[in-house]
Amino acid sequence: MPGFDFSNYNRNAALHARGVPLPKATSTGTTIVGCIFEGGVVIAADTRATSGPIVADKNCEKLHYISPNIWCAGAGTAADTEFTTALISSQLELHSLSTGRKPRVVTCMTMLKQHLFRYQGHIGAYLVVAGVDPTGTHLFTVHAHGSTDKLPYVTMGSGSLAAMSVFETQWKPQLTQEEAVALCSEAIQSGIFNDLGSGSNVDVAIITGEKTTLKRNYIKPNERVPKLKSYIFKRGTTAVLNEKIIRKEDLGNFVSVHELAVEETGDKMEVDA
Amino acid sequence: MADRYSFSLTTFSPSGKLVQIEYALNAVNQGVTALGIKATNGIVLATEKKSSSPLADPSSLSKISLITPNIGMVYSGMGPDYRVLVDKARKVSHTGYKRIYNEYPPTRILVQDVARVMQEATQSGGVRPYGVSLLIAGWDEGILPEEDEEKEAEEGAGGDEKKKPSGKTGGILKGGPMLYQVDPSGSYFPWKATAIGKSATTAKTFLEKRYTEGLELEDAVHIALLTLKETIEGEMNGETIEIGIVGPPADHLLGVEGVEGARGPRFRKLTPQEIEDYLTNL
Amino acid sequence: MVGKDCVAIACDLRLGLQALTVSNNFPKIFQYGDNVFLGLTGLATDLSTVSDLFRYKVNMYRLREERNIAPKTFANLVSSSLYEKRFGPYFVSPVVAGLDPKTSKPFICGFDSIGCIDFAADFIVSGTATDQLYGMCESLWEPNLAPEDLFETISQALMSAVDRDALSGWGAHVYIIEKDKVTKRLLKGRQD
Repeated sequence: MPGFDFSNYNRNAALHARGVPLPKATSTGTTIVGCIFEGGVVIAADTRATSGPIVADKNCEKLHYISPNIWCAGAGTAADTEFTTALISSQLELHSLSTGRKPRVVTCMTMLKQHLFRYQGHIGAYLVVAGVDPTGTHLFTVHAHGSTDKLPYVTMGSGSLAAMSVFETQWKPQLTQEEAVALCSEAIQSGIFNDLGSGSNVDVAIITGEKTTLKRNYIKPNERVPKLKSYIFKRGTTAVLNEKIIRKEDLGNFVSVHELAVEETGDKMEVDA
Repeated sequence: MADRYSFSLTTFSPSGKLVQIEYALNAVNQGVTALGIKATNGIVLATEKKSSSPLADPSSLSKISLITPNIGMVYSGMGPDYRVLVDKARKVSHTGYKRIYNEYPPTRILVQDVARVMQEATQSGGVRPYGVSLLIAGWDEGILPEEDEEKEAEEGAGGDEKKKPSGKTGGILKGGPMLYQVDPSGSYFPWKATAIGKSATTAKTFLEKRYTEGLELEDAVHIALLTLKETIEGEMNGETIEIGIVGPPADHLLGVEGVEGARGPRFRKLTPQEIEDYLTNL
Repeated sequence: MVGKDCVAIACDLRLGLQALTVSNNFPKIFQYGDNVFLGLTGLATDLSTVSDLFRYKVNMYRLREERNIAPKTFANLVSSSLYEKRFGPYFVSPVVAGLDPKTSKPFICGFDSIGCIDFAADFIVSGTATDQLYGMCESLWEPNLAPEDLFETISQALMSAVDRDALSGWGAHVYIIEKDKVTKRLLKGRQD
């Protein structure tokens, strides 16, 4: 992604000055956490996306793939976390192919912070970077302005205080994998229930030296009770003024694709006369 | 550098030939033979790894490369030019496709992108054409409805119809394996089986005899080794032969569990041990 | 809105300048292939710019790849195109609906103006009546609706929502997308 397109920037500023409201971006609100254990690292996230006070997505994915052994949890502006991680993932994959080595977590963290610092915080991505590489297990946080931290347990997002209170009371060194998963999901649940910006389910990713296990919707503490009665309307309820049925065969307004047999040309090159 | 005029080194001769391209092809035809065979359920790419001296360390040399998880590439001609093209192919598959559509390019799209890079070198100022021919092998997912696919598979009675090896560029629609050759001029051709390099003609004659419709990947690897044996100069072993295959998704190479819809890479290189095993069964 | 082996997408028909209604026949749903539909809400000028932009991009895709674009691929194209304008966005919030050409599974998703995709299993809403639509859909939608029932549900949800939004209404278009046919209906709505 070599640069953004600012062509609408001045127009939008002018529109805003004349009272057109700026569109609301989806935010992840979010509680995200990470915690190192003996032999790997766990990251976890809630699954609520918000647009102002509205819950925009009840079960979104905040654990982003970077490489098989590096994953990211994202908070802040949803589009920014999605695209920043995808961009770095792409660059890291190319880097890994050309060097013939597994990507390293510090490389990922450095690329993220350099990218975010360049945009001076305007890219609103707050990330927890976790992974296992040949140099060991790593856990970082990266803030939108480009600062980073390296800690044994981390929390971010609007529910970070709720989640950190769990870590500060229950964390101990040399956790086992099970203890770390339990602690992380406990921290996320504390965010889900105490922070309005976080909600719905718990997603967990466990990264060890051998593999990464993603447990999507590991805990679902907020399942909606199914409706006891159906609200289906009687067919014909809605007044229809006009009806048009377009069958697939008639959809030929567009270019249709036909396969043509290709004649075998024996020659290798078509430059010779 | 480019502060003054620079002219294309590839210009027409009075007879209408672009001799620079022909010279590039000559470079290819002096290169080590590489071959590709398309099977119903995959593709094999094979070449000889030739070291100029017994003192060279062959383990660091690699002639078959992964471009995307489902596409691999091999060359004949100039090694340095090839490495540049591998980097460009990988990069363009991300910048020109994956970062836009969040999926990897189908084989033909990648082939066209690589071919464009090679063609531009025949018309741009101050550069020479790439001295390589490429074999690009890949598997496309296709977008045809699954039911149609099954129907066609039944019709094909064993030899799966959708994977029908043919000269069609149908891989993109139906899905299945595709094998392309790209030349220094930037022209490209789909093949069922072909060879490039020094002994391409011999190898192709051999392949014509050995190739059958409805070939399985295992048979294709076998034929690939037999063909190499015909043309090879040195000894054949796991160190001197390189093989890349496009086969079923290798989910164990994914390194990730629990991600919905994630499939392992279809392209992978055989280890020297695997090649030795094939050679003993030859 | 997702149904059983079908999806529906609907829009109202009003074009307004704040409180002044300019047109009562301004459809906001665009078709980009056999079963790929895009709904757009927001600034009208961006609506036509964006719909034309995607017509161009989809036509280029079709020419280059000799195949129709799949809804999921199209959704990612929309997403990356919007995010390119991260710091000068189009004032639109698109909705994509369609059926996967390979599996015929329903696919819907929504976007914010900078391209964040909201994949939903049930319904997506967008526009000035967003809040009302959330309430309606959340109460009326249920899983596995047949095409005919899906039509009633989406229509009633939309009509009830826009009746409580001063800035929406003036009739509606409803598309029911099935594997081998698309049914487009014009709904009778209030004209005030």
